[in-house]
Amino acid sequence: MEILPQPKLSRKERAKEMKCKVCDLEVSEEGFCELHLKAYGNILMKFEVWKKAFDVTWSQYLVRIQKNSLTGEWAKDVAKYLIEEELKDV
Amino acid sequence: MPSMSSESLEKYTLIITEKPDAANKIANALDENGKAKKIITNNVPNYQAYNKGKIVVVPALGHLYTIASKQKGKRDYPVFDYQWVPRYQAERKTSLIRIWLKVISDLAKKAETFVDACDFDIEGSIIGYNILKYACNGKEQVAKRMKYSTLTKEELQQSYSNLLPHLDFALVEAGLTRHEVDWLYGINLSRALTQAVQRSSGHYSTFSTGRVQGPTLKFVEKREKNIQAFVPTPYRIIMAKVETNDIVLDVEYEKPLETLSEAIAVKAACKTKEGLIEAVNISTFEKNPPVPFDLTTLQSEAYRVFRYTPMRTSNVLQSLYLNAMISYPRTSSQKLPASIGYQTILKKLSKAPTYTKAATELLAKPLLKPNEGKKFDAAHPAIYPTGNLPKKPLDTVDRNIFDLVVKRFFAVFAEPALKQSINAKVNINENIFLYSAERTMFQGWIKFYNPYVQFKEISVPELAEGEKVKVKRVALNLHFTKPLARFNPRSLLMKMEKEQIGTKATRATTIQTLFNRKYLSGTANFAVTDIGSKVTEVLSKYCPTIISPELTRNLELEMEAIQQGKQTKQSVLQTATATLSTVTATLKEKEEAIGTKLSLAILQLNMQERNVGACPECAGGELIILRSKKSGKRFVGCTNYFEGKCKNSFPLPQKGTIKSLGNCKCCGFPIITVYGRGKNPWKFCLNQNCPAKREPKR
Repeated sequence: MEILPQPKLSRKERAKEMKCKVCDLEVSEEGFCELHLKAYGNILMKFEVWKKAFDVTWSQYLVRIQKNSLTGEWAKDVAKYLIEEELKDV
Repeated sequence: MPSMSSESLEKYTLIITEKPDAANKIANALDENGKAKKIITNNVPNYQAYNKGKIVVVPALGHLYTIASKQKGKRDYPVFDYQWVPRYQAERKTSLIRIWLKVISDLAKKAETFVDACDFDIEGSIIGYNILKYACNGKEQVAKRMKYSTLTKEELQQSYSNLLPHLDFALVEAGLTRHEVDWLYGINLSRALTQAVQRSSGHYSTFSTGRVQGPTLKFVEKREKNIQAFVPTPYRIIMAKVETNDIVLDVEYEKPLETLSEAIAVKAACKTKEGLIEAVNISTFEKNPPVPFDLTTLQSEAYRVFRYTPMRTSNVLQSLYLNAMISYPRTSSQKLPASIGYQTILKKLSKAPTYTKAATELLAKPLLKPNEGKKFDAAHPAIYPTGNLPKKPLDTVDRNIFDLVVKRFFAVFAEPALKQSINAKVNINENIFLYSAERTMFQGWIKFYNPYVQFKEISVPELAEGEKVKVKRVALNLHFTKPLARFNPRSLLMKMEKEQIGTKATRATTIQTLFNRKYLSGTANFAVTDIGSKVTEVLSKYCPTIISPELTRNLELEMEAIQQGKQTKQSVLQTATATLSTVTATLKEKEEAIGTKLSLAILQLNMQERNVGACPECAGGELIILRSKKSGKRFVGCTNYFEGKCKNSFPLPQKGTIKSLGNCKCCGFPIITVYGRGKNPWKFCLNQNCPAKREPKR
């Protein structure tokens, strides 16, 4: 299979790629740092339970967990980021 | 008593104790007339007593010797060459130790027999051993050992009459190994971190970590990560209130419900006026008395009951021990041997009006048998009151801890409590609800341990199968799972014990050190600071073995093996040196990366400490503590000043530590507190025109 040439990124863009989507820490996986990646994993894992409990969509779920006082700060950060990303797409 | 002229030539027995208070107690207990002569030599107290010959009792001041690197002045690492030296040679502000050692050495010259009467544990053994070896010119091999668990006159006299023929060399060997291994880990790792930061930022800041500190910090950090990344799980519970025999019972639907539709369906199905008790299960069981206190359990209980930190409890226990009111506190035993004299102690305690009733009741028992725990300590029994009552009123904290020890001592001899558990199934329209309750049938030990034990007693009606109940109310409650609670002084101590890291005597100090280094914050709930988090991150990344509980747990086991004569000091030190050689090499290689990370964390901490709050005059500006280049004086200024947007500034007192306390309720300006040495904290609003300042004081 032919490998397509990758677009060249500017230094600023490369630096941005190396940083977590939420904070300035080094990226671990999926564009998140180690700490926010753990929170992202939890958010993904709990969606099904919340969907069953409240019959909510992904966006509604993110808003709800962001407002919940028991949600951890990093999980709230990730939820906020994901909400903003969804709004951009809209 | 010999005349004064012959006194100076008379040979004597030199007894060495760990602390001045212990020397005073021992000298007076051993003196034939019960009144030893106190002599002050160059500000060092020592005591002359007579007991079948002259005795001189001289105290130490805890550890008088410490470990230091053989290479003086160099701060490089790794360091593997070390020696034991007097503390004044290695530490600042310890000139008193020089005089102290001189006095001990002078007294040793005229002594004929030597007795080590320091506490019978690892630390006490090393204190005595080092003094006998270095200050008494190699008398550690000929010295005898006094072993006692309380500072009561009877036990001290008995201990002196039955001196152990020599020091417990296995205990000394284990103690020396522990100190040397800890020193090797501490100095090498701390120097690696400190130098990495110094080379990266050019500034000196002390970073410390060690064999016990590292894993302890890691526990808190791991918990914090789980809390911060936590997403709660929702679940629903249906509760009902049912009435029988004029008593309302709370019953709960047999399982939590995940979906809303399911929950609504069950609730709707329960809309009826009557239910039926389907099954009743009543069982009676005994609840055994608590076991005697070992140090960790006592520290944990003191936190649960009074919210005293382990460190505070430890200090109070030491003071009660030195006043001969309780037995030796640094014990891991939960056993109370009959030799301590249960009856004598109870009789003595019964003289205090508060304890008369309980003690008399226990003394009336035909047999006194304590409910002992599993833990055993060869050196000391569990903590117990000696029966000696305070000669003067105790302060609140001392009184509370003493009362806790006494009441626990009573409780372990009392009868088991008899409890009844009631479980019932209530059918509400084919939906099963569960009821469970417990009630005390016979108080037993609970009566003796009150008010430190509390069970919720609820009035339970006689329930019978087939009985009808009135359904008063059915409610659907939404709940969320909670994250694990943050560690508090009690739970962290228990975690350290469970993971077998540190010793009973050092755990509280380790936690305190983590606070002193600013790695932890909070009082009731511990949180890791940015610096603490970065230190753990660095150690986890570059030397994970150092902060793994396994390493420190294995070392503890090896040291126990030394104590039992199954392992040698040399072999344990060789293993430690080999591990550290690899670790320090890695740390040196990654010094730049480590330095950058930690420097950034320091910078953030400094900024946080300097920040006093948002600027009330401009948008986005932060008020921070600054220092004037011209005058060198400190003041509060806005960060937007540097961009020419805001000139807001406030004067500050020039001395004391400043902490921000949020915003003023009257004007919204930041409130700060200034902590000055020897002064009460001074709290004030930065706004000089704050309306609160104008209000007349009431």
